Amino acid sequence: MDHPSNRSELTRRSLVRVGLSTAAVASASTVMAQGAPTSPPAKPGALTTAPTSQTGLSPRLTLHAIDNFHGTPAAGMVCDLAMLDGEGYKPLKTITTTATGRPADPVLIDDAFKAGHYELVMHFEDYFSKLGVKLPNPNFLSLVPIRFQIRDAGQRYHLPVLLTPWGYSYYRGS
Amino acid sequence: MAGISTHVLDTDRGRPASGVRIDFSMMEDGKWRLMRSVVTNADGRTDKPILPGGEAKVGQYELVFHVTDYLKARSGTAEADIFIDDPVVRFAIFDAKQHYHVPMLCAPGSFTTYRGS
Repeated sequence: MDHPSNRSELTRRSLVRVGLSTAAVASASTVMAQGAPTSPPAKPGALTTAPTSQTGLSPRLTLHAIDNFHGTPAAGMVCDLAMLDGEGYKPLKTITTTATGRPADPVLIDDAFKAGHYELVMHFEDYFSKLGVKLPNPNFLSLVPIRFQIRDAGQRYHLPVLLTPWGYSYYRGS
Repeated sequence: MAGISTHVLDTDRGRPASGVRIDFSMMEDGKWRLMRSVVTNADGRTDKPILPGGEAKVGQYELVFHVTDYLKARSGTAEADIFIDDPVVRFAIFDAKQHYHVPMLCAPGSFTTYRGS
């Protein structure tokens, strides 16, 4: 299951998917040579969590950060949430994802869950550098703003973010 | 080729997104300075590079994609279904000799960007 050549193959394929150069492949090998990082997530491709269905839950905003570079949940990702208020984004809270790539609690729920324009700034550079990924200086992506709208506070909103050092994707999930 | 270029694609309809305004800024003394506003052409690209190679230098850059107006103007799109909110992409030029192609793929409910080529 955990044969080194399998892991190597997996990582190479994911690198091809995100369009990385041979130099980046070499840096990924460095990561693997260092073994599992001291903080979560675990080694590339290691998964111990099952998918979670949130169907039927009350209105709320939830987040899931997924590390498509390592093939793991993005654990320990620091995110600053702000809401548009008049002219600018007003900070609401800073949250950190757990080992599942999700925060321990809903990002917003009950009275705090309001319709509006939101920005979640995710600390990509800190996240990847802590895992020993070799990054350019300055890194291509460092503080990544995710802007979205909650249009109806009577509905449940799930925000998955798929990330690598070279790109990201977000969408209204389920 | 060096500098910055972009491409706006509507992955919901499978076609380039034309007429999308893009505001391009760079970080100067800790503040974003608007360099230019451009509008995508019929191919979803800009007629001129966002940042010509001769002007490229190491630093932080920002692209704001004003796609809400574009999405609202499409036939058959309910405004209530638009989840992405004029996405902002902030990235660094770390080597001014390289080219940075920063495409964005959008639909009412999703957004993707990456270092392209």
